Amino acid sequence: MTTDVATADVPAAAPDERLAYRGPIQRLLVQPEIGALLGAISIWVFFWAVTVPFGTAIGTANWLDVAATLGIMAVAVALLMIGGEFDLSAGAMTGATGILVILLVKDTAGGGAGLSLWIGIPLSFVLALGIGWFNGTLVERTALPSFIVTLGAFFVIKGAKLGFAKLFVETIQVGRIDEGAGHDFWRKIFSSVWTRNDHIFNSRDTVYVALLVVGGVAILLGLLELTYRRRASFNPGGLPIAGIGAAAGLVGLFALHGTEGTGANFIWSIVMGAGVLIGAYGIALWRFEPNPDRGALQLPGGLLRPAGLGTGLVILGVFFGLILDSAPALKPDRTVDTIFFLLTEQGLRAILFVGLSIVGLVLLLIAASRARNFSSTSGTVVSIYTAIVVTVLAFIIQSESDAPKFRAELFSVLLLVALLMATWAVVGLYFEQRRFPDEAPDRLGRVLAIAGVVLASVGVVFRLLFTTDSELPTLVGQTQFRVSILWFLLSAGLATWVLARTKFGSWTFAVGGSKSASRQVGVPAARTKTQLFMIVSAAAWLVGMLLAFRLQTIQASTGDGKEFEYIIAAVVGGTLLMGGYGSAAGAAIGAMIMAMSFQGIPFAGWNSDWRFLFLGVILLLAVMANNYIRKTAEEAS
Amino acid sequence: MSEPALLELEDISKNYGNIIALTGVTTLVNAGEVTCVLGDNGAGKSTFIKIIAGAHQQSEGILKVDGEEVMFDSPRDALARGIATVYQDLAVVPLMSVWRNFFLGSEPTKGFGPIRWIDRKKASRIAKEEMGKMGIDIRDTEQAVGTLSGGERQSVAIARAAYFGAKVLLLDEPTSALGVKQSGVVLKYILEARNRGLGVIFITHNPNHAWPVGDRFLILNRGVSMGNFAKDEITRDELIMMMAGGAELEELTRELEQAAAGDEALSHLAEEFAEEVGELEERAEHDE
Amino acid sequence: MRKFRWLAIVLAFTRVAAACGGDGDDTTSTGATQDTVDLTQGGDLTFHMVTHSDDGPFWSVVKRGMDDACAAVGVSCVWSPSVNTPEKQVQDIDAAIAAASDGIAISLASPDQVGPAAERVVAAGIPLYTLNSGLDFYKALGAVTHIGQTEFVAGQGAGERFNALGVSHVLCARQEQSNVGLEERCAGLADTFSGQVTSEFGGLDNDIPAQEAAIAAILAADPSIDAILGVGPPIAISALNASETAGRGAAIGGFDLTPEILDAIETGTIAFTVDQQQYLQGYLPIIFMFLQATNQNTAGGGLPILTGPGFVTSDNAAEVKDLSAQGTR
Repeated sequence: MTTDVATADVPAAAPDERLAYRGPIQRLLVQPEIGALLGAISIWVFFWAVTVPFGTAIGTANWLDVAATLGIMAVAVALLMIGGEFDLSAGAMTGATGILVILLVKDTAGGGAGLSLWIGIPLSFVLALGIGWFNGTLVERTALPSFIVTLGAFFVIKGAKLGFAKLFVETIQVGRIDEGAGHDFWRKIFSSVWTRNDHIFNSRDTVYVALLVVGGVAILLGLLELTYRRRASFNPGGLPIAGIGAAAGLVGLFALHGTEGTGANFIWSIVMGAGVLIGAYGIALWRFEPNPDRGALQLPGGLLRPAGLGTGLVILGVFFGLILDSAPALKPDRTVDTIFFLLTEQGLRAILFVGLSIVGLVLLLIAASRARNFSSTSGTVVSIYTAIVVTVLAFIIQSESDAPKFRAELFSVLLLVALLMATWAVVGLYFEQRRFPDEAPDRLGRVLAIAGVVLASVGVVFRLLFTTDSELPTLVGQTQFRVSILWFLLSAGLATWVLARTKFGSWTFAVGGSKSASRQVGVPAARTKTQLFMIVSAAAWLVGMLLAFRLQTIQASTGDGKEFEYIIAAVVGGTLLMGGYGSAAGAAIGAMIMAMSFQGIPFAGWNSDWRFLFLGVILLLAVMANNYIRKTAEEAS
Repeated sequence: MSEPALLELEDISKNYGNIIALTGVTTLVNAGEVTCVLGDNGAGKSTFIKIIAGAHQQSEGILKVDGEEVMFDSPRDALARGIATVYQDLAVVPLMSVWRNFFLGSEPTKGFGPIRWIDRKKASRIAKEEMGKMGIDIRDTEQAVGTLSGGERQSVAIARAAYFGAKVLLLDEPTSALGVKQSGVVLKYILEARNRGLGVIFITHNPNHAWPVGDRFLILNRGVSMGNFAKDEITRDELIMMMAGGAELEELTRELEQAAAGDEALSHLAEEFAEEVGELEERAEHDE
Repeated sequence: MRKFRWLAIVLAFTRVAAACGGDGDDTTSTGATQDTVDLTQGGDLTFHMVTHSDDGPFWSVVKRGMDDACAAVGVSCVWSPSVNTPEKQVQDIDAAIAAASDGIAISLASPDQVGPAAERVVAAGIPLYTLNSGLDFYKALGAVTHIGQTEFVAGQGAGERFNALGVSHVLCARQEQSNVGLEERCAGLADTFSGQVTSEFGGLDNDIPAQEAAIAAILAADPSIDAILGVGPPIAISALNASETAGRGAAIGGFDLTPEILDAIETGTIAFTVDQQQYLQGYLPIIFMFLQATNQNTAGGGLPILTGPGFVTSDNAAEVKDLSAQGTR
């Protein structure tokens, strides 16, 4: 056995055939948070379908409120978990920091220290960081598992909360943060509320639609840039076609906005759809290389089976949707009737219909994406077929459903999906997909796609934050968005940036992935881990402030036992329990999934005794979907 | 030779209390040369590595870097002198991307004041270039290192050490856990590093890996240096013979024969073994 | 020396940590063990009250009742709180037997562990009373009577209150999902309330924002709900906040007395709260034991004596608030 190696002359770097170019969608799919995002969307759609108020502003404010405090902690805990450690004292710490700040600023007569909030808040922050530092240092010095060390810290904190509360205020409820000087200011920071009913903006819907359309177009253009091969020199011949398309699209949109009748809506939708298709074709003609090889139509069993099965499932879903609607035995009183003590009949219908159709559509999409590997023609044929199925489904829903949101909103969404699929398929047939990275279009595509997502999100937020004069009388109760949501988004954004873009982020992944390897190259592993513990305690402090200023009174038990929810949220969001892999944005989405599941159940009016059963199923599904998507995406690339 | 060797060891010994781990080791590492350190398990290779990497200090003997006598206090000290160690299992973080691994601990940053972030583009570009110099085309530096083959993983660590100014690369058994083909890949990278003017210390127990790439061979057996040869002073078969310890092999043959008495299958094996050892000895003598 | 002070604090913490194993709001204490009340005029009677108390806000009112009763009749009383530790409660009971007590009152939160010790009390010929918990066991153990409240009856009382308020659909919001006592409160409510009752879990006390959100969601899901009974103090306040943000103006009932609930009742945002009147659970056993020792009276006639439900409404909130501040409510 000899391994003779040709000396001196090493062959020049040859491209590695095993590294295929990954398209934008594939790149997106291997992100750790993407599975969670898809899970979150499905859960949202699910509860939107089975309940009345869940999808409205009031429902959104409700579950976001729960997601916010959970999410701030989940994001920090995810960082720590990526760094390979756990903190079981995280939950208790949220209550402890709240109690601490109240004790610091409460009147001396009431057992407090009587400090100003201007001192008490920074002081409590420093003390909180001290707890994190202590946890981290102890874990590092003793080299014991952080599970054990922080379990000890949990008991110490839990005990200290009770002990100090009883010692200073003689009860387990510590209250009156308003006795601290500067309360009005700090209350604004930590406990402002945006009351939607007080913010009227009558052209809200116009702004909303405009932002959504502009954002959608930007996303579409961005994806085109990222997917197709740019021409050496642009072909201006495409521009007039793109212009015609854009004009038709706009005319269709405005006409659609101004009409009410079904017939007119139908006509203008077609005009708008044709506009999008022509516009996209024109843009592609202008910028991209034509497809030199469309290939012959190939439809082997590997394609026909999922396509057929998908179609079958969609038909089955529609069938159940219709049959349960008309089955007399199940019909007597549809709003309160429950089946198996669990669900309303409406709920079962929605589950069967939504579940089967979604699985069916996913199968069809898989078939379409596989078909592209055979030839462009095959890809286009299967995609168009899928688009047709989606369109038919949309019309069945519109004609048969008696729920207004199914008739109107779901119908529009499905039509849009069908339209985009058709557009994508047509462009894919006539233009050449890229097989290699290309810097300029990559950058432009990314910028466009991100800008599109931002604009569309701003549009949605706009609709959520403002009401109109015409809507106001129909509203029941107040919709209040709490400032904690803003803190949540800020923390998630900051943590995501830190992880992706800073040294500290890199080191976090490194110490969690392989502590010895990172030490080897000079990463200060102990310091990094200690700082991660301090980040968790800082987050706990933030949540403590949010609670203290919101509730004015904090119970000693506040937050105890919540630490596992944070860990679950992080895991649902794609963070590896073993460390070294994960994402902060994913943890934020994981928190949203949990909050939506927690709140969706009472919104749906389901019996709360079954709450954990649902929660368990949802979480398992979310984690499994997450895993599956990541694996498939990694294998595909 | 006018220039002093990058690294020179003169009569290095190491005792742990009354245990003698290493005695009288002498060798040198020149720029653009590969010095192979061969030895079976327990031969003193790891003590040797620890002394050069700065984890332990020699008890006796002289260590010279660029002709200057030194005594390393810590691994950091050795690194500062341009001696980079690549451990077999601890080279990289598998779940992290190629560029993050490449720059781990020394990330290039940009920004203003205390707010600084990694210059991703630069890091990615340099990682790609440097890997290219090693003969590996990494298209996507975002790829996780864990998805690379074992040989390529070692090469990421080698390229990193070279980029960050190492003059001497100390490679601890880089091929021991790899298959035949992957070992070949790593050997190729060793040559590549050599061609770039680095001095390489290649530690292995496999003379078949050492022979094709080595310019100089240091053979260790039970803590004792069996010799330090330039490539033209020794043949491949002698190398194999010495590494295994000729006298010991004969001893082993005898023992095997005794144990096999009565057992047909084993005695057959023992015969074959004795034959092979005899052949090897003959060839070594013939070469001389 | 400073080191030792730290040690003492640490020890105090561990004790507190050990004390908080139970549930509910009233499970806290820094364990002061045996406070002896010895009033000179009371002759030679000594009564023992051995409970699972943790000296939290609830139990300190019980203890106050005991102290006041002992002072009133002039006897010596020994207060032995076991802080939810059945083993300690058993030891304390045995110590009371050994001290030849003239009457022992115990709480039976852990009947299986403490039951045998209670039987030893009866076997020693010492009058035994149970208080607070132990309604289902006092008779079998040979106790004279039980002084306490039943959750079901408390719920029934709340149901009648809601009938008087003229509401039609009450949400019984529970702060724990598998607590028999809380379920019984809701069952009692459903028993007497003339309209519809929905009993739902409304989120844990350790996450008040989530509790508010859960109740708000239940309200949003069912527009016919026009009243909420929060079966614990924090959840009643959460119900109030949820109802206010939802713009529902639901009638709110609560359980137990806390400053927040009393304030809300005073301002009229909460209609009433169910009061267990635990002062009586400390006061009455001493009086009964005194009368049994001095006058051979046995109260109860074999039936338990209920200390509640009492109700606090806007009519008496201000007075109760003062009394609560004095530590007797």
